[in-house]
Formats: sequence, C-alpha cells, structure tokens
Amino acid sequence: MTEAAFSALASLADPALLLMLAVGVVAGLVIGLIPGLGGTGAVAILLPVTFGMEPEAALAMLIGALAVVHTSDTVAAVLLGAPGSASASVTMLDGYSMARQGQAKRALSLAFLSSMAGGLIGAVGLTLAIPLARPLVLSFGSPELFMLTILGVSLAAVLSRGNVVKGLMAGFLGLLLGLVGTSPTTAEERFSFGSLFLSDGVSLVAVALGIFGLAEIASRVGQRKVTEKPVELTGGWGAGIREWITHWSQVVRGSLIGIWAGVLPGVGATAGTWLAYGQAVATAKDKRKFGKGDPRGIVGPESANNSVEAGDLIPTFLFGIPGGVPSAMLLGMLLTYGIQPGPAIVTEHLDLMYLIVWAFAIASVAGAFLCFLATGSLARLTRVPFAVLGPGLLVIMLLGAFQEGGQIGDLWVMVLLGVVGFFLKATGTPRAPFLIGFVLAIPMERYYYLTANLYDGASWMLRPGVLVFAAVLVVPVLWSLLKKLRGTSGQADDGHRDEHDGPEAEVDDLEGSLAGTGWSAGLAVVSVLVFAGALWVSGSFSEEASLMPRLVATCGLVAALVLVWQELTVRRARPEPADPVEEPLGTGGSTMVATRVEPAVDQHALARAQDLRIAARAFAGMAAFLVLAMVGGYLAATLVFTPAFLLYAARVRPRTAIVYTLVLGAVLLSLPTLLPVELPMGLLQ
Amino acid sequence: MTQHVDVTDVTAETETDGSTVPTQDPQPEDRTSPSPTFAAAVVAGFAALAVGVSVLGGDLLNPAASTTDGDYAGETVEMMIPLAEGGGTDTWARFVATELTQEVPGSPGLAPVNDDGGEGILGTNHFMTSARADGTEVLVSTASTVVPYLLDMPAVRYDFAELRPILANGTGAVVYARSGAGVKGPQDLVDRDRPLVFGGIAATSLDLTTLLAFDLLGADVESTFGFEGRGPVNLALQRGEVDIDYQTTSSYGPAVEPLVEDGTAVPLFSLGQVDESGEIVRDPNFPDLPTVVEVHEEIHGELPDAGRLDTYRAILALTYTYQKALWVPEDTPDEALELLRSTAQEMGADPAFQEAAAEVLGGYPIDASPDLAERIGDAYRVDDSVREDVLELLETDHDITID
Repeated sequence: MTEAAFSALASLADPALLLMLAVGVVAGLVIGLIPGLGGTGAVAILLPVTFGMEPEAALAMLIGALAVVHTSDTVAAVLLGAPGSASASVTMLDGYSMARQGQAKRALSLAFLSSMAGGLIGAVGLTLAIPLARPLVLSFGSPELFMLTILGVSLAAVLSRGNVVKGLMAGFLGLLLGLVGTSPTTAEERFSFGSLFLSDGVSLVAVALGIFGLAEIASRVGQRKVTEKPVELTGGWGAGIREWITHWSQVVRGSLIGIWAGVLPGVGATAGTWLAYGQAVATAKDKRKFGKGDPRGIVGPESANNSVEAGDLIPTFLFGIPGGVPSAMLLGMLLTYGIQPGPAIVTEHLDLMYLIVWAFAIASVAGAFLCFLATGSLARLTRVPFAVLGPGLLVIMLLGAFQEGGQIGDLWVMVLLGVVGFFLKATGTPRAPFLIGFVLAIPMERYYYLTANLYDGASWMLRPGVLVFAAVLVVPVLWSLLKKLRGTSGQADDGHRDEHDGPEAEVDDLEGSLAGTGWSAGLAVVSVLVFAGALWVSGSFSEEASLMPRLVATCGLVAALVLVWQELTVRRARPEPADPVEEPLGTGGSTMVATRVEPAVDQHALARAQDLRIAARAFAGMAAFLVLAMVGGYLAATLVFTPAFLLYAARVRPRTAIVYTLVLGAVLLSLPTLLPVELPMGLLQ
Repeated sequence: MTQHVDVTDVTAETETDGSTVPTQDPQPEDRTSPSPTFAAAVVAGFAALAVGVSVLGGDLLNPAASTTDGDYAGETVEMMIPLAEGGGTDTWARFVATELTQEVPGSPGLAPVNDDGGEGILGTNHFMTSARADGTEVLVSTASTVVPYLLDMPAVRYDFAELRPILANGTGAVVYARSGAGVKGPQDLVDRDRPLVFGGIAATSLDLTTLLAFDLLGADVESTFGFEGRGPVNLALQRGEVDIDYQTTSSYGPAVEPLVEDGTAVPLFSLGQVDESGEIVRDPNFPDLPTVVEVHEEIHGELPDAGRLDTYRAILALTYTYQKALWVPEDTPDEALELLRSTAQEMGADPAFQEAAAEVLGGYPIDASPDLAERIGDAYRVDDSVREDVLELLETDHDITID
C-alpha cells in the first residue's frame, strides 16, 4: 500500500501532470469566484478538454478544479454576501459580518487557511477511510439519512442569528419552496400551477443568489461612499497565521466532521458544513459573537467544506454514487477510460486512487495558498462603494444564475426572491435556514418515504444511528428548556442573539431595522397566508405526494402563528412614539418650528423609509433590466442599464460610467467564446 | 458605516479632491454631478449601441452554419443532451459524438449542451421548437425521453416521427436478487410467503420494462419508487433494504458481479434483446443467463400469453434495443444526414473504435445502417393495444394515472 502511495506521488512529480493540476486549480478558482458558476461550471469547461488525454492527466486536472471550488466560492460569500453554494452560506454568516466590520482581510485569511487544512486532512482521511468506507456507508440507511436532513434544517434554524421562531419559519418557507416541482416518489407535479417551467422545481442558484445576493445589492446600493474604516491586519501574514493556529482544534474537528459527512451519499455537503458550525457553537463557552464575526464560525465550516469534497470521493468511486454534478462528471470521465466505480476500483486501480488523493491534497494547498496571497487585493474590493459595484455585480450574478437552466424565468424568480430576502433581512429573520430548507426538502421527503416503505412500523427509530442524531437534535433543546425552567439568568448565552447587539449592528443597520414594525408583523401574516394556501392546495395531490407538503405547511403555519402573536405582543408592549409637537418660536423675523420631539425615533423612521425607497427603486431597476434583456438580449440590456444606473443613481463621473460600461460590455461579448456561458437572447435576436 | 442613506447623502458626495477617504460626516458641498443633458446623451448613445448590437449582433454572435452541401469543414455541431452532466446518457453522448465529429470529413467541432429538466422532456421540447435544420444541430434521446412520448404524457411536446435518426445504440439489463431474501433462482419469484421488494426510480422511467417483466412472469414483487438512481438501489440491496433490482450491462460488472461472487446476490434473468426478426433472444453479453421468456417457460411450463408478450417485446425494443439515439430535425438536408449516418456506420464497424468504446457502449454495436430510420420508426410507433396495456399496468399495480 505504501509502495502504491509513493509511486503515485512520484508520478505526480512529472511536470506534465503538475501542469494539468495547476490548470485545474486556476480554472476552478477563477470560475468559483463568479457567484453562480462554481464547481459544475469549472468541471463542465474542463471536461471536453480531457478527451484524448491520458487518464492520469485528465484526473489531475479535474481533481484540481474540484478541490478548490469551495475555496473560491467563499470569496463572494464573504465579500459580497452572495454565497454561490449552500455550504458557502455557512461561512457567510460570520465571514460577511466580519467583512462589514472592515475585517475582510482577516475573514478571508482565516477562511483560506482553514480550506487548506481541510483539504489536507481530507486527503489523509480519504486514504485511511478507504478500507473502512464500505461498512460505514452500508450501515447508513435511509432512516439515518432522513434524520440527517432533519438535523440540517433544525440546526440552521436554531443556530442562525435571530429568534428561533423566525428561524424555524424561514426554514419551513424554504422547505415549501423546495417542494415546488415534481414529487420524487410519484412523479406528480406539485405547486406548479400548470407551468412547465415550475414543474422542474426552482433553481438552487437562483434561490441562493436571489435571497442573499440581490437582497444585499438592494440594501447596499444606496451606499455611495465607503464609510467603514478597514481594519489593517497588523503584523502582516505572520499575525494572521498565528491567529489561525490558535483555532487549530476547531479546524481539526471541522475537517473530521466534513469527511464523515461527505462519505454519506447524498446530503453530505450541505448538512456537513452545518454540523461543523453547530458543533463549534455547541462547544463554545461564549456564544454571543457567533453570527457577528466570530472566527470560530469561519474556521470550522471552511475546513469542513473542503474535507467534504474529499469524503465525497468515496461514495463516488466506491459505489458510483456521486454527491453532486462535479463528481458525477468525474465519474463519467473515468468511465470513458474503462474505469468502473465499485469496490474493485481499490484493488485494480490503487495507483489511480492514490494519485487522486495526492492531487487533492496538493490542489487544496495550492488553491488556498493562491487565494491567501490574493487576500489583500480581494479585500480591497470592499473599499469600492457598493453603488459602483452594484450594476456589475447584478449583471454577473444574473448571468451566473442563468447558466443552470437557461431559462429567463429563473432570473425573475431570483429577483422575486431578492424582494423576499430583503424583507427577511430587514425584519431580522435569518435566511440561511430558508436556503437549507430549500436544498434539503426533496431529500428529506425521499428518505422519509423510503424509510416508511422499506422498514416495518417504527422499528427504524430504534436504530443506533437514528438515536444518535435524534439526541444531537433533542438534547440541546431539552437542556435549554431545563435551564429556563430552573430560572437561571437568560443571558444571550444560548447562542440566540438580538439583532441590535454588538458592533455588527452599527455596521449594518438594515439587519433587523424593520423588526417590531408593521412590516415585520406583515411578513408574519403573509407567511400564515402562504402556509394556509399551501395546505389547501396540497389537498388536491395524491395521498403520497401530499404527505410532505401538508406536514411542512402545518408546521410552518404553527410557527407563523406563533410569530404573529409575538409581533402583536411586542407592539402592544412598546410605548407609542410621541407625536411631533409644533412650537412656533417666534421672535423677530425668524420663525423656527421645532418639529422634533424625539430626534432618535424620527431619524430611525426616516432612515427606514429611505431604505425602503432605495430598495424599491433597486428592485424596479432589476425588473426593468430583465424586461430589457427579454426584448433585446442580455448584452443590449447591460449597455443601457449600466450607464443609466451609474449616472443617475450612483452619480459617478461620465468618463467612469462610459469606461465601466464598455468594459462590462466587452466582458459579456467575449465570455461565450472563453467559457461555455450562455447569454440570454432577446426577442429581437 | 451608515447603512441607510441620510437625506444629506443624496446631495453631498465625497470631498472636493475626489478621493474616497472614509468619512462619517458628508461635506455639504455638491459634487460635480454630470449635467443632465450630458448624462442623457451618454445613455442615449449606449441605447443606440445596444439596439445595433441586438439587431445585428444576433448574427455576429451566432453565425448561421450551413451544410446543405454536406461540407462540415469549419462548422460546429451542437448536441443537445436533455439530461444532467455526468449521467450515463451524458457520458455516452459526449463520447460517441466526439468520436463521430472527428471522423466526419471536415472534422467539425462539437458543442455539447446540457439542458436537463423533467427527465429529459424539457430539453427535447426545446430542441423541437428551436433547432436549426441545417445539419449542425443534433438531439440525444434515451429511454427516459421515449417512454413519456410513448405514454403520451401531457408535458411532451415532441414527436419522434418528426425527427430523423443518425445512429442508435442499445444496451441490456440483468435482474438479480438478494440471496438473504431466500432467493436461490427464478423459481423463487412466485409462490412466496412475502413479496420481494423492488427498488425503483419512477414507474414511467426505464424501470417500466422491468415492471413489465415482473408482470409477465406473475412474480410476487412490490415496488417502492423514489430512489435517486440505480446506484442507490444497488446500495440499498446490499444493506438489505431492497430485495430485487436490475442493473444495465455497463454497471453489472462492477456493481453486481462482486455480490454474486461472495454469495450476497444471485442473477435471475436478463431482459433479453430483440433481434432483426423480432424475436427475444439472449443478450450477447450474458450468454449464460436465460431471458424472461425462457424463465416463464421454466416456471409455468408454457410460453407467456401472446398479447402480453407483444407488449413486452415492443417496450423492450423501445427502451433497450434502441435505447440511445442521435437525431436531427426533419428538414435537415439529405446530404448532411447521409454524411453523418454513413460516417457513423463506418466508425461503428471499425475494430479500433469498438475496442476503445467497449466500456462506454457495453459491447453493443452502433446501429447506423441505411434502414435504421425505418426500423426505429416501426419500433417507436407502438400499437394502441401496447399503450393501453402499459397504462393499465401503471394504474392497477402502481396507482399512476396519466391523463
């Protein structure tokens, strides 16, 4: 075995292979940076190139791209609040907050170093796990996978910032959206209202970029200058690395959880990153900073992100069950070389297996290192006023989302979800559970269904794996309930933070600014209506297909009703703002009318109104952009929208606007020739 | 940084020197905002450019290809794969098309496009409405796009009678069961105490043929659908969650043979292949395994009922013998189609290609003979009785009604 390992390492020393690896790494990094393209895009681009190459070279290149995908999508998540994948949304919680406080460089450094470590540990784990993998994978059946999905959503709801009821409601809303489309068990169309577009479900990229990315754009687009003082990383690289090393145990734990989650076929990646985050929160004594820039919220999940990819190679190669599209393409590539997945792959192609392990390790290190070097320049992105970044970001994000399905409908969904995301953010409702619920809805239903059908009665609930997961879910809840009953002081130590605590609140006033207002209550009421409506529509589905929707709608309804009650209680408890009193102070020629009795209150209301106006204009602009794109094509729409926005909304100099637009236009023109990127075509074309 | 924009912010901008020094208090001076007329002029200029780009650029960005003369030099063949990247069909399509375009005189480039959705229905719909009929656009079909077509499902907006085939490639499948469920051979399929549990993806997918086989044999099998793919079903069988499964030829080796060797599983029968005379014969890749028909004789002592056998044969041809195919639109110039077809035929007969393609094709030949269009047309034009039989089976056994 060691002989095979070292011979594989020796073969990697071949400069041709290393070159292929480097190409893969660079391609993966660059493509991963663009929110929406990610791993699928990288492998899709490289795959045709591999035809005709030797299997080792092809593998080196593809593994290079795969290994770094989660390193680069962190960049958009941290800097722009736009996670390109569901697992990047975990890092975003603390990473983005840190960036908003001017510590983008620190956040990125921590993330990249953790990615590096995660990749390395993942590679080691991969080697060790190969003999253990088979029994492990076989012991995890549908019941365990079902519990894992439940765990994923619950953790997201409970651990995100904001109150738990809001988190749960967001989770249920996400689950409901995830159920739109075709039922996995009966092939029935649900919630599609006859639309062929909806019958295929909603696109993940549209949801992630809409709920997070577009909502961020709408909320920050009014920012015409940068008023945060970037916190300089004192001491340069050394200090950053030293800080990271203090969190080494988090890194190791995160990686281990990641590998293990990745080995499980199917839901590994998403659930794994959340488990790592959950574990970091659970084992921390001071939880107050989580969600507001706690480094532990970055290092654990980021290393888990990368080791999950390593772990995912196990079900891909040993069982032929890829965890996602990139690994599916890898598998397809192997097939053309006559390499079949299965237990035999370990004995017949051991050298290739080790090549993969080493390639993964080297790629992770190289990719993270490259990103680490670029941290300075990347972080400088935060110095650009968002109003200027806005149009370019919008164009790129919408384009990225368009790639998945090639449907303009996806972009409308994205804008709609942007509006939803904006209100969720403004009312202090966490959005991460929404995304996780969306991703895990169908797997949850599928595994529940398989469990119910393949196992008699409730005996599956007594399986050891199921009990362990149930314990992870239930015990913390019981524990905090117990503490509340005993009357111990309810410090925010249970990890639930009030929206207005800490430095983050000064930085991002939009977050939770509408909490406790009419808008917040309105959101709760709308949710009640949505769930009630869903419950009613579910009645028309067949029995099997209606089980999950009904369950989700009912639980969601309960959560929403509780929220409505909470909102009403809060509003009744708050004192009415005093009416402005007009007092003419007339002496001499000047009459001064003092209209502000409560300057603070009035200014808040004024600011809120301003925020809403700006957001409304932003979304209207996005809608106008889409209409333009549908008529004249994407390029034309960009050429008109960008200068209009830059000149009228962002008020930049004309020369800047012209150059910016021309550059953006040139990029869009050249993109289809360089990457397999499709531009939406308009009616005129 | 103040998130909300104060009223003062709207008019005041950065300091006079134009630098972006971070500041909390905006200066009251007005920035030199672009004069309205100039700004409008800039936008108007771009709008004009945009109109020009969208009207003219369409052609520039997508130069129309033309192969009426059958000359593919300098062209790119765009291949529509209506399923996700990385799947079995995708791998097959990319491999075959790459080899083919390299052989076609003029060596056109290949641009595979994945447009997945609705089990292949959406992409195929798109192709029908938007494909150019100049010989540079090709469609990939597979069982999961053909079965819905056969069953006339409402989402289907395509018609294979309006397409012309270039080549077809078949595959086979083997049904096997878990010995732990007490199965030692085909005779254990009937007269059971407990039905065998079959794991499937969806009744209207490739699983349909296996379901028909079970029905033909009168096997005591209960199906549970909802698995993501054949890989997970195989895994479930190894875990004991599922008792009986089928795997296509290319997966059989790695997924099932090890199980057979260690005694966990036992192969029961192959679905068979339909030969030129329309008979169901043994799969050439599994010469030692009996077909469904032979097993029926073994268990029941007689041949299956003729009508039901007809239905099975029709579906078998559709979903296995012609499982994957490449098509072009009806109005494609004859020269282009003929060039593609004859190149495919030569390629398929070339021993070097056969060797290189062994894994991907699973040992089944590329069928691109001149009468392919006729045979495939016959296979795809099933009798109403066949359709009714299938719909009945779906409704009674699996509670699935298709309007």
